[in-house]
Amino acid sequence: MKEKLEAILKNGTEKISASVTLTALQEIKAALIGKTGEITEILKQVPKLDPTIRPEIGRAANQIKQQLTALIESRTEEIQLKASEISTDFDFTVPGILPPAGGLHPITQMCYDLNDAFRSMGFEIFQESDISSELYCFDNLNFPPEHPARENMDTYWLAGHDTGTGGGRLCLRPHLTGASVRYMQTHKPPYRFVYPGRCYRNESTDARHERAFFQYEALIVDTDFKFASGMIMIKTILSKVFGRDVPIRMRVGFFPFVEPGFEIDMGCLVCDQKGCSVCKQVGWIEVMPGGSPHPNVLRAANLDPAQYTGFYVNIGLDRLVMMRYGIDDVRLLRSGDLRFLEQFV
Amino acid sequence: MKISMNWIREYVDLPSELTIEKMAYDLTMATVEVEGWEDIASQFDKITVGLVLKLEKHPNADKLTLCQVDIGGEVKEIVCGGTNLREGMKVAVSQPGAMVRWHGEGDLVEIKKSKVRGVESFGMICASSEIGLFELFPYSDAEGEATIVDLSAFDVIAGTNVAVALGLDDVILEVDNKSLTNRPDLWGHYGIARELSAFYGVPMKEIDPVEPPSAPALEITLEDPKKSPRYIGVKIEGLSVKPSPFYVQSRLWSVGIRPINAIVDITNYVMLATGQPTHAFDSDKISGHITVRRAAQGEKLLLLDDKELTLTPDDLVIADNEGAVGLAGVMGGKRDSVLPETNKVILEIANFAAIGIRRTASRYDARTDAAARFEKGIDPQRADNALVLSLAMFAEMYPDMKITGYNDNYPMPFEREKVNVSLNWLENRLGKRLPNDEIQKTLELLGFGVAFDGDTMFAVAPSWRSTGDISIPDDIMEELARMHGYENFEAAPITTSFTKAINQRDADTDRNIREYLAFRCGMSEVFTYPWLKDDVIAAILGGTGESLSLYALSAPPAPDEKYLRPSLLPNLCKAVAGNARYFSEFAIFESAQVFLPGEFVSEYDEREALPIQRRHIAGAFVGGADAVDTLFRKAKGVLEALPRLTHIEPITFIKNDKTFTQNDKADKSTTGRLWRPHWADETVWLNINSDAENIGTLALLSKKAALACGIKNHAVMLFELSLDALRPLASRTNKFAHLPAFPISDYDISLLFDESTKWQDITAAIKKGDLIRSISYVGEYRGKQIPQGKKSVTIRLQIGSPEKTLNSSEIENCANAVIKRLSKQLAAEIRDK
Repeated sequence: MKEKLEAILKNGTEKISASVTLTALQEIKAALIGKTGEITEILKQVPKLDPTIRPEIGRAANQIKQQLTALIESRTEEIQLKASEISTDFDFTVPGILPPAGGLHPITQMCYDLNDAFRSMGFEIFQESDISSELYCFDNLNFPPEHPARENMDTYWLAGHDTGTGGGRLCLRPHLTGASVRYMQTHKPPYRFVYPGRCYRNESTDARHERAFFQYEALIVDTDFKFASGMIMIKTILSKVFGRDVPIRMRVGFFPFVEPGFEIDMGCLVCDQKGCSVCKQVGWIEVMPGGSPHPNVLRAANLDPAQYTGFYVNIGLDRLVMMRYGIDDVRLLRSGDLRFLEQFV
Repeated sequence: MKISMNWIREYVDLPSELTIEKMAYDLTMATVEVEGWEDIASQFDKITVGLVLKLEKHPNADKLTLCQVDIGGEVKEIVCGGTNLREGMKVAVSQPGAMVRWHGEGDLVEIKKSKVRGVESFGMICASSEIGLFELFPYSDAEGEATIVDLSAFDVIAGTNVAVALGLDDVILEVDNKSLTNRPDLWGHYGIARELSAFYGVPMKEIDPVEPPSAPALEITLEDPKKSPRYIGVKIEGLSVKPSPFYVQSRLWSVGIRPINAIVDITNYVMLATGQPTHAFDSDKISGHITVRRAAQGEKLLLLDDKELTLTPDDLVIADNEGAVGLAGVMGGKRDSVLPETNKVILEIANFAAIGIRRTASRYDARTDAAARFEKGIDPQRADNALVLSLAMFAEMYPDMKITGYNDNYPMPFEREKVNVSLNWLENRLGKRLPNDEIQKTLELLGFGVAFDGDTMFAVAPSWRSTGDISIPDDIMEELARMHGYENFEAAPITTSFTKAINQRDADTDRNIREYLAFRCGMSEVFTYPWLKDDVIAAILGGTGESLSLYALSAPPAPDEKYLRPSLLPNLCKAVAGNARYFSEFAIFESAQVFLPGEFVSEYDEREALPIQRRHIAGAFVGGADAVDTLFRKAKGVLEALPRLTHIEPITFIKNDKTFTQNDKADKSTTGRLWRPHWADETVWLNINSDAENIGTLALLSKKAALACGIKNHAVMLFELSLDALRPLASRTNKFAHLPAFPISDYDISLLFDESTKWQDITAAIKKGDLIRSISYVGEYRGKQIPQGKKSVTIRLQIGSPEKTLNSSEIENCANAVIKRLSKQLAAEIRDK
């Protein structure tokens, strides 16, 4: 009997230490000390034993039971703490279950990036409607009466509303700047706001030209503003778009609604300004116009130009998005083609 | 515009250390954009003057000649096919390494030493077209294809580079015309030279005025001096039509103007030099005297380019006693043009007001160099320079000419623009104080007159900047800033004072919804055009642009794309059709503006009348033709969760089978139309309301509309909402509830219902109560075990008490009561029995 107990202990100890899963250990436990386990069976027999060996066997059996219980407990702990119950054949190369597909249009993404940057500097976001009038697109913006942009060939005028002048002559807006006067007329100075949106121009399309495009314009107007501080707005846009500081320069440029007006160039990122085909060997790429609002524009917004000044920047997001991703055909942006759009989620 | 640096140097001594790179950079930064430059001499690298010493027949070819040519210190043998070769002739020799155009056609190729019919030839003796000089050395086809350039008339020795020999060792700047728009003073070499003189503080070689010629007065009438402020007419006799000297021709050629004859070349040369257009017309063809006047309605004029115009009173013409002879400031007429027999001309050096020139030029599609200059505004004073230069050139080319008539009709003296500038204002805008003497020096270099009195500076613009270019203090500020160098101003920090945080619920709602649809709902945002093709208008909106009173473009992108969208769905369906070729399942949306018929008003200016414009958002869930149930639940779920997840007031679904009435808060245009949109399937559609207002639709695209859009094998669930009608919450409205104190159990029951029973009927019958905490839809089943006309619906109840833990028989009782109610009210049967 004693030998039998020793054998159970030895065998049980081996099995316990060889077990790797909790399930297997539970089975071993049941076979040893469960209701019908080997030790349990022996303990059941103890009362029937010869009284001379009864106490000794009983003690030994209980001792072994305790030993095995302790071993099982510690093994349980070991398995729980260390080991995996999962088969080593587990295939960790199968693809994960992805969250829902979908995403924002790459232009919207860039627009939101810029909105966040400008909002952090206290700019509001304003929206103007797509259909505007000659009054807001041209008259208020100091465009001379004979400016070519007023002609049919450049601007999408609305049939039946294209013969009048000013507020009765309607068009799909050719640029955003008219929105600036709408905002100023309905808010109190000082102003700092952005007004992104879709614009339209009547031209033939190819890989670089579109009839519909997306502009982003920002305006700051205050009583005490140095024209050179416009650089800060420009840097905000470009560093947000390209993820790093970009060298910029302001040079002379002419647009009716600004005085002084600037063409703003950024350092060519393709060649690090060493000169390449993208920048036509000059190291600079023209990216946006800007300048201080012309006094006549401020007057249209009921402001005194002797008191107020400011700075406009205006940038075409289509071209920036193309530069950001290396897109070579602007028409893809309005194709609605998911094979294209899914690349930018 | 092309600018010749040699020409510039005639008017200004540029610093010797100034490189072309530096000058181009300075001009680009502060004046006009230089797009690039071209060193003409580089085209003539290794092309030199050769002296033909001896000609011999080629041993193996009848038409070829062996030429012994002195190319400067050495004599080389060159094979040539030229028919005009003669001994003692100076020719252009392309030596090995030179780039030429074979027979004047195709790409440039490099000259190599080669054997021509067995004889080694050192390079090539060139025809003008082969080295890009055809316009200066034209030959006719009759003279044979290989007429060699004859340089014998040039006093140069053999070996001289051809560019040097012809005075073509020049650099030509290419200036962006757009950047010159507001600087009419720069539309000529003299003007650019004047700008450079100011930049570098170097003196101008002025064109000095001369005494006006003394000759009998020429009668010139100006009907409206506002439209034609000045008119100089000079009658010149003793002329003939002949080529102009080579230096004039090559100058014109180098800036892209074809030489024609001496008289025309003088007028072009003067314009390119001074920016002042001039015109010469045959005075024999003029009857009576010259008048500048408005055209009569319907008056005819035959232009130089043979175009016959019917004029309007908006056009200004030069006329004689018989009628119009030229379109003022735009183009001369045919009748008085310079012809081979012309021997006397009237030279016109006139000034016309900018207003009107552009209209006339574009009306008759006559966009000439003269019109391009006049329409930007030219100061009348400039005519003086043009007169001096013209008379000098005529005298040089026609030593025997006589001036037989002259008049300078200039009734109203030109006023220079005066601008007063506050120095404090200037300092504020510039961000730094420029010393008065720097201001004065800078402006005087630019031709301004300057005086100071305390805070005020009195600036008088030069005549050439007084054409509208300089008129306000901001213009003076720009002059100072650009001459000081824009790089030399530091960006002062933009300061601000905060009164309150920006709170823009409308902008946030638009963004929240887009991000919700994209990131939570797995939809892809698309951009489409605002104009619609006629066929999608018919398919989706049912009708024509006209019958639906849509807005149209007067010059649309395409004839069948003239109407602007009143809904995002037509173009969204087009995008669905495009993607359906590549994807079996997808979801897209667009957020953009739509244009609705109705009243014209503006909230900004009473002079303005804008149509109704709304921001809409529309989406499409696309899947297999058998996926209607799933697509419907997906789309509906997206809309059901939208208010809570994007923080707007709730929306509801209703199905209104009626037509719109005036009382429905909808667009007027919809009155009388069905609430179910044209494109919607007759069964699967719902209206979306916010309060009582209809703000959109959720529906299956009808098979008919889908097919019309080219969508064959997909089911398309569409929704469209008016974004403007959604009302953002002022703040989040979620309410906290205590966590349940006692357990809540899920209890699923599956019951058979009639197919006609709606989920809404089931939930209404169950009713939430004390113990039934929620009722949810698990699914429906139809199959073999289910009788026809029935469906098995699995309902999940959450059962629990707020007061105690329920035991299993209490839970069973509660569920059984529900089953009993459903059996009684909706004739539900337990499926397993």
